[in-house]
Amino acid sequence: MTEPASLLEEIRFGYGPRVGWSLAAGPGGGGVDPDRVLLQLDTPDPAADLWTPLSYAQRQASLAEARRRRQGQPPQGQVVDLRPVARRDAVGFVARPASARCGFVERLVNLWANRLTVSASGGPEQFIPPYRDEAIRPHVAGRFADMLRAALWHPAMQAYLSQTGSVGPNSDLGLRKGRGLNENLAREFLELHSLGAGFGQDDVTELARLLAGMRSDGVTRTLDARAAEPGTKTILGERYRDGVDEIDRLVETAAIHPETANSIAVMLARHFVADVPPVDLVDSLRDAYLRADGQLRPVYRVLLAHPTARDPALAKLRSPQEYVAATLRAVGLTGDPEETPAFRKRGLRLSEVMARMGQPIFAARRPDGWPELAQGWLTPPMLASRLDWAADLARLTGDRADPVAQTHAVLGDLASPLLVSAVAAAEQRWEGLAVLLGSPDMMRR
Amino acid sequence: MRDLLLSRRGFLIGCSVAASQLLTPVSFAAAPGENRLVVVLLRGAMDGMDVLRPVGDPAYAGLRPTLSRTGGVPLDGFFALHPDAADLLPLWHAGQLGFVQAVATPYRAGRSHFVAQDALETGSGGADGNGGAAGDGWLNRAVGLIPGAGAQMAVSVGRERLMILDGDVPTAHWFPAEETGLSSQGIALLTRLHEADPLLAATYAEAQALTQATAAERIPKDAKALSQLGSYVAGRLRDDARIASFSLGGWDTHQGQARTMSDQMPLLASTLLAIRDGLGRAWDTTLVLAMTEFGRTARENGSTGTDHGTGGMMIAAGGALRGGRVFGQWPGLADGQLLAERDLMPTGDVRAYAGWALRSLFGIEAQALERVVFPDLDLGADPGLLR
Repeated sequence: MTEPASLLEEIRFGYGPRVGWSLAAGPGGGGVDPDRVLLQLDTPDPAADLWTPLSYAQRQASLAEARRRRQGQPPQGQVVDLRPVARRDAVGFVARPASARCGFVERLVNLWANRLTVSASGGPEQFIPPYRDEAIRPHVAGRFADMLRAALWHPAMQAYLSQTGSVGPNSDLGLRKGRGLNENLAREFLELHSLGAGFGQDDVTELARLLAGMRSDGVTRTLDARAAEPGTKTILGERYRDGVDEIDRLVETAAIHPETANSIAVMLARHFVADVPPVDLVDSLRDAYLRADGQLRPVYRVLLAHPTARDPALAKLRSPQEYVAATLRAVGLTGDPEETPAFRKRGLRLSEVMARMGQPIFAARRPDGWPELAQGWLTPPMLASRLDWAADLARLTGDRADPVAQTHAVLGDLASPLLVSAVAAAEQRWEGLAVLLGSPDMMRR
Repeated sequence: MRDLLLSRRGFLIGCSVAASQLLTPVSFAAAPGENRLVVVLLRGAMDGMDVLRPVGDPAYAGLRPTLSRTGGVPLDGFFALHPDAADLLPLWHAGQLGFVQAVATPYRAGRSHFVAQDALETGSGGADGNGGAAGDGWLNRAVGLIPGAGAQMAVSVGRERLMILDGDVPTAHWFPAEETGLSSQGIALLTRLHEADPLLAATYAEAQALTQATAAERIPKDAKALSQLGSYVAGRLRDDARIASFSLGGWDTHQGQARTMSDQMPLLASTLLAIRDGLGRAWDTTLVLAMTEFGRTARENGSTGTDHGTGGMMIAAGGALRGGRVFGQWPGLADGQLLAERDLMPTGDVRAYAGWALRSLFGIEAQALERVVFPDLDLGADPGLLR
């Protein structure tokens, strides 16, 4: 059981307060205590862990077994019906943050998984939840290099960015079949996952040469000698030979590159504080990252201790996932239809709700992931969908609500006076709740 | 209590924020005999002075320069009916429609919708609106006093239960209508919040326009749903039920009241008429009471609406009613006659009228009404609501 967070910590660094939980009190939403927030990184969260997805290995084994049986071979293992698994995965995308004690951990998992996006548009949806849990989650409190390496090698990433089809042109396979490189993963590794700037096309091509033939089943990492490109590669001014170890060395180098430090600093500040973050915050984050050799925890501490972290003005617009989870927490639900059957209904199904708000679950359109800036979520139909959701959720739970008390519980002294008076002026209880849930205050963090 | 959902279609089909405000769980209690009572809860505080316009009061037009402009249908020389409720006129002439003027619950503390609605439904006698420890509904307590109102006749359906029929005595609940979106007041409140947010204001305005464009196509559906609701209530009352209650929202008219009321009045009229049509001969032994949590300010406000007030108006209808008249006393609108120089002064307790109705329809003793149904109520003299 973790120490109670403050209201502001829950809002800015989590998914909002969950109604009924006690919070550390104080003016300005109770401020931000870096130690208290960082403690979440070491705290078990059984409520959230209920949503741990089936592993990549289990899914893969089941698919392989099904293939075997289709070919008429005798059964060797279990075949899991992956359709209901996929439905639970989608619910968990919202229900896990909605039920989490350690909201900061869930925010970090989603932020990093977005930086290192694997999407269902262009790849198999089945492997995204295990990717998030196996490549991202174990490393959000550790070293970025470890996360970068795990993501690069995860079969879901390999498939999504077409690495599996990349063949060294001078390899056995390349020479015999006339096949060549696929630069997709190499490019996104440099452009999105690590540096973001300060590299050229030569670096991309050379990295693609280095990565050609990499194979992973999620456990064992190898380099397929038939597809690996022979010879040295020069990437970011450094020379690499063949081999898994050499790829690891490249990852380590890229992870602590000053451009990577800068890119991560901007990402963190922009995500948690403001679309246009203060320059001094970005500078401090970058310096902390470099000082700590890519350890993330000290960087988070700098972020949490910065004055903008405790500014009671909520500058950021919540993403649809953050908004839906925050509204669910505000009414004490998780969105799980097995817990509340109403979430099976048309209009309340999370997969539909999320798609209408512009964030179809696991299906970011591009490898750069979901938008970070408010404008990416602000089309009229997307906003109308948020308001519909607010009304529907309030209707579902608001018969006997006390919207004024709920406003206080969810926003405390961060609620604008305008909101407080509007909630009290609604003509029915559930409508008062709808005004709270659909308010700009609730859409911000 | 056992809940069943009658509506098999997704309740959010076509639902959007801008769709109209029919919402309404319908509660029934079955009782023996042929007399029937329907209690309609008009949520949001209906402006009684706009429905039943005191055109004969010399101060009226001055207090309501824009709202008085449409005149109204003359009823008795002093009052005129809102022009968009003219469909109800035949009921008035048949003696099956009446009004109770200047009534209120004892709640005076804060003009809060939530507290006042609870007070109206619990039958609270406190000025603070506090319903006491039980927090159950007065109509539930009344059902418990009707001989023969057996538990076997009680079923519960629907998500939302009206507090007025909630309590120890088993009652039935149905949910026959599709859910719809926020009332115009709810939308107005959200609009005010989003207009004040520089990040969201522009997109919100477009989102609203978009929603309204699609909602315009749904209005006939809502009107139809309301008359279906009336028919459904009538059907239940023709069957086992003798007491029904449902709520009708959308009356919180802080701005642009004329427009909202010309939407609301036909909806209310069609609901009442659907109940009459559906009941057939049973209408002759039926009383409908449509009550609201409080009245609105006597004066128009700065945005051609009215704000939360005190003295309100109750609509009565049915073949059992001794109608074609306005019950109660008019307190006057002149200086010094208003409560706190703003609200219509209540001259009657809405609970007393409900009490006398229960006494006449179901034979509940006066003593039980004053002790159990409405503790600490002084029933006073019989207003002669029923034939």
